[in-house]
Amino acid sequence: MKVVLQDLVKRFANSDRAAVNKINLVIEEGELAVLLGPSGCGKTTTLRMIAGLEQPDSGRITIAERDITDLAPKDRRVAMVFQNFSMYPTMNVYDNIAFPLHAVKMKRGEIDRTVREVAALVNIDHLLGRSVRQVSGGEAQRVALARAMVRRPEVFLMDEPLSNLDAKLRVQLRTEIKRLHQDTGTTFIFVTHDQEEAMTLGDKIIVMNNGDIQQVGSPHEVFFAPKNAFVANFVGTPSMNMLPGAVSGDNGGGYRLQLPGFELSLPARFHDGLARMAGKGVIWGIRPEAIRLVAEAGENTVSGEVELVEALGSRDLIFVRAAEQLFGVIVDAQESVAVGAPCHLHFAGGQMHLFDAESERSLLNDCG
Amino acid sequence: MMRVPTSERVLAYVILIVMAILVIAPVLAGSITAFKPQIIWVSSPPTWIFEPTLENFEFVFFTRKGWVYLRNSLIISVGSVAIALLLGVPAAYAFARFRFRSSKALMQWLISLRMIPPIVVGLPFYAMFLYLERGLGIGLRDTFPGLIITYQTFLLPLVIWMMRGYFAELPAAMEESAMVEGYTRLGALWRVVLPVVWPGIVATAILNFIFAWNEFFLALILAGNRTSTLPMTAGTYIVRTRVEWGNLFAVNLIIMVPVILLTIALRRQLVKGLTFGILE
Repeated sequence: MKVVLQDLVKRFANSDRAAVNKINLVIEEGELAVLLGPSGCGKTTTLRMIAGLEQPDSGRITIAERDITDLAPKDRRVAMVFQNFSMYPTMNVYDNIAFPLHAVKMKRGEIDRTVREVAALVNIDHLLGRSVRQVSGGEAQRVALARAMVRRPEVFLMDEPLSNLDAKLRVQLRTEIKRLHQDTGTTFIFVTHDQEEAMTLGDKIIVMNNGDIQQVGSPHEVFFAPKNAFVANFVGTPSMNMLPGAVSGDNGGGYRLQLPGFELSLPARFHDGLARMAGKGVIWGIRPEAIRLVAEAGENTVSGEVELVEALGSRDLIFVRAAEQLFGVIVDAQESVAVGAPCHLHFAGGQMHLFDAESERSLLNDCG
Repeated sequence: MMRVPTSERVLAYVILIVMAILVIAPVLAGSITAFKPQIIWVSSPPTWIFEPTLENFEFVFFTRKGWVYLRNSLIISVGSVAIALLLGVPAAYAFARFRFRSSKALMQWLISLRMIPPIVVGLPFYAMFLYLERGLGIGLRDTFPGLIITYQTFLLPLVIWMMRGYFAELPAAMEESAMVEGYTRLGALWRVVLPVVWPGIVATAILNFIFAWNEFFLALILAGNRTSTLPMTAGTYIVRTRVEWGNLFAVNLIIMVPVILLTIALRRQLVKGLTFGILE
């Protein structure tokens, strides 16, 4: 179902800053939306307000046009999976999954059928008789998923459900959640601080910081077209290389960017934005994947020396000291270079990002 | 398991045995006296070989109405523990889960109640009961409700402190999950949380029962003929001219045995409850 948040505000008594600061958000029916941000950004508070576990100070929440702002959690037709809780410890797997059905006074035969059906869907039908001590962390989190699904909620809410699992299991369950979303076609709202998890799962990513929504977009949009310096820096591992700079016009009607120790010519797509920026400072950014090692110095290159090499598998992350700055560069493992080797970094104009140093907004989507 | 050197083990056993003897020997010697006929209660040197008799028990239990005091003690202890749990468990849950005005100060005030000597509580309660009786005609002196209310001053803080610990150990997501799944907070508390903290409730109940059962001073001030408890009557065997040792120890045994039996019967829950969160 379609979820709409309207001017949602939440303040906590012990803080003068709003945890959620008048946010507006539309999540379409059947979408898998990911709330992404660092801890304390307001993503979990937002999710908890949708669940009814926190009451907003102002604003409205609707699910499928139904205003649920003042309803008790139990009446919202949502289901939630938590980070630090998966199974009721005094019940076995079967009773855990049946638990939400007892609340609606379902008949025993129907409960039994539903429990087995849902358990099969998340591959725990062989564990039904087990107690909490006899299941692993991953299995317990599947029980939580089953319990969430069993009442056929209109919206699934997931609060970092994979954070307490080990890396391999996390990736495996991530895929299953994605599959579950495809099979059920229900709206999912997933909270995480892990940008890789957000990228792989989300149809739509909502990047949050300090209680505000920074950007809403597809995984590609937030990665390739970040609206501001925060999103650019937060999304993507390893992080985008960013430097403060100053812009000046050149003779041919173009612009040049002075960075500490070197300068670059800026591509035409920035011209509109730069025209409004006369004399102001900018932040320049480029992703480690977008930097090329080239054989010779030339236009838009800077020369330096490899300081550190980290193997990532098929690719290496190398750190290059150039013009007294440290650049992270992703290179193919086969083309990798030794520590101490001299090299030239080339920055492709098409992959540069520019932000207003003051507002930190991108110069490309200045209107948005 | 870590291997402990034999010498250390021997030392540990020696210390434990000495401590056990120090604690158990007087109790044991006294308990033996409870079965001695009156003529050898205070024989010197003590007589150890004799034909055990139940006449002391018969005397304290029937002639001196011990069964009435046993009944009184049971009513007061069970009643006050029940009330303390009924009020204290929900209060502890609130303290564990919600932050409200001066909740921290209230918790500290509650623990400070445990530091007050009983006489500081007993005398004002006596005066209060007297005023209630004369002013409003509410008689609480020498009644079960009166004693049960008074006992809350030392039982309720203990219940709240112990239970708050158990509740605080559990993730709030446990109830929140149940609340999203169709239950009210009270429903979630009842169906999900209480079953988990059950061993804690049992441990709390036992400890509080022992405190109430052994309570002497408040009962001495506030109970009377109708509500005398067992510990109070133990005092009546120490009279100005002599101590009726055999009878005294017979009463003592009647006081001790229920507590010991209760602890043995529920020892698994007790250990589980008292070590909640420490042992996994």
